[in-house]
Amino acid sequence: MRVIIEEIKKDFRILLAYPIEIAFWIISPLLWAIPLIFQGKALIGGLQSTAFGSLAGTGEYIPYVLIGAIFSTYMFTAVWNMGNALRNEMFYGTLEHILSSPVRPFYILVGKGLYNSLLSTVFVIVQMLICAIFFGISLTINKVLPMAFFLMLLVVGLYGVGFIAAALTLLIKEAHGILHLFEYILFLFTPIRYPVEVHPITRTVSLIIPLTYALVALRGILLGIKFDFLKNSLILLGIDMLIVPLGIWIFMVIERRTKKRGTLAHY
Amino acid sequence: MNRIIHYIRAINAENMKEWRIELKYKPDFIRQFFAPFVYLLPYFLYGVALLGGRFSEHLRSITGVSDMIAYTFIGYLIMGFLNTACWAMGWSLRKEQWYGTLDTIFAAPVPRWVYVAGMAAHSTCHQGLIMFIQALVITTFFAISFKTAGIFLVLLIVALMLIGLYGLGVLIAGLTIGLKQWWVISEALGTLMIVVTPIAYPLAVLPVFLKKISLLLPTTYGVMGVRHLLLGEHIDINLGTIFLRLMLILVVWVTLGMGVFMLMDRYGRKKGFVSLY
Repeated sequence: MRVIIEEIKKDFRILLAYPIEIAFWIISPLLWAIPLIFQGKALIGGLQSTAFGSLAGTGEYIPYVLIGAIFSTYMFTAVWNMGNALRNEMFYGTLEHILSSPVRPFYILVGKGLYNSLLSTVFVIVQMLICAIFFGISLTINKVLPMAFFLMLLVVGLYGVGFIAAALTLLIKEAHGILHLFEYILFLFTPIRYPVEVHPITRTVSLIIPLTYALVALRGILLGIKFDFLKNSLILLGIDMLIVPLGIWIFMVIERRTKKRGTLAHY
Repeated sequence: MNRIIHYIRAINAENMKEWRIELKYKPDFIRQFFAPFVYLLPYFLYGVALLGGRFSEHLRSITGVSDMIAYTFIGYLIMGFLNTACWAMGWSLRKEQWYGTLDTIFAAPVPRWVYVAGMAAHSTCHQGLIMFIQALVITTFFAISFKTAGIFLVLLIVALMLIGLYGLGVLIAGLTIGLKQWWVISEALGTLMIVVTPIAYPLAVLPVFLKKISLLLPTTYGVMGVRHLLLGEHIDINLGTIFLRLMLILVVWVTLGMGVFMLMDRYGRKKGFVSLY
């Protein structure tokens, strides 16, 4: 427990050394959504689309896109920060020290995962407030609890993915681009920007990604779109139960392999 | 003359070094040729979700082009060069710092800008190759047809825009010396340019204050000019004005970029924080 707390404290200290990053992570997801709003205006000339409504359950594409952008913050931090966690230690020259300390690397990664979850939650709260003030997204107290429930299920699943991303970095070292590609794949196959029902391939692939169910539920709660609460929570729970042990197992296998081959600190 | 040849050799050495480093990370090298497709498709699918198809009557009424795929594709293809400026050039110094080779490179008998120019040369070749493949595949797959009469002017516009973007790249590289966390600067500037440039929409849909900012960017004229020549998009300004403004922006951006870079370099060495993290 002390190791996890120390890891969280250390990561916060590093973040505070680069305060510009905090502003960036709060504003960027919203900025990334703005071109989609302009594109929507150029294509349909209004704020409502019938075609979009038949696929998404709401014709109002602006709140749809904004909610996707806000909650994708969790995905970015899980994929990016977890994926780059060990690579950054490598660049700082501290990877070998950390991995040779008398703690299991698993706890260090759990610390990094918890740090990222806390940070993402702070960012998401600020972004939600910005959207409530400027875009009129309604936030009521009775929505908070079900949202927190789905976010918890989402975060657990994403950190399973984060463990795999960290393992990937140990294996192929320069994983920056691969993580970028992974992020694009999530954009393509999950309803972050558009309803995946738009194409049979996106609809099929989205079924195995936890973000899909979380976004359907979160949009349902926030925009009043009908969704199956029980089905979405059970599927998310099922994916979490599968992906977290899988992520930990993959990380441990690759970590052992890199140590055995002596490639841990290779660039 | 000897000095110029010396600099060109250094620029080429930097370019070759980058190719060698990239080829060491094969999965990442291969990934770079797939990523642009995966990046583009969500924008197409978003448009299809909104329209229920590929063609937009409203887009045609404001731009003269109804094909959403072709319109969006040209915008994002041209913006691919933003990666050259923001990522490759901006990242150049921070990367060397991480590798532990920044001090060694800075001690080499060439000015600092030569090093950044080497990165720009490499990135232009690499990005150009990626974009060529992307253009070939997308136009074939989506059966997009272009007007080919103005292809020479298209290349000229892209070249002018690219030199303007080099100014931005040098500026980011300079800011990296002082602010260290290069990627935040790159991402922030890149994101702002993506929002303000009329990539998948015409200038007409932007609010007035963003429209004014947009007119200061080389990418705005690059995208508008190329789309006008290849797709026949209606634009409010003529081609002559586009060239004139691009040249003006080029001078301003390159001067500003070089100025900031030299200032930060001198300041960094004076304060002794060039190789600090």
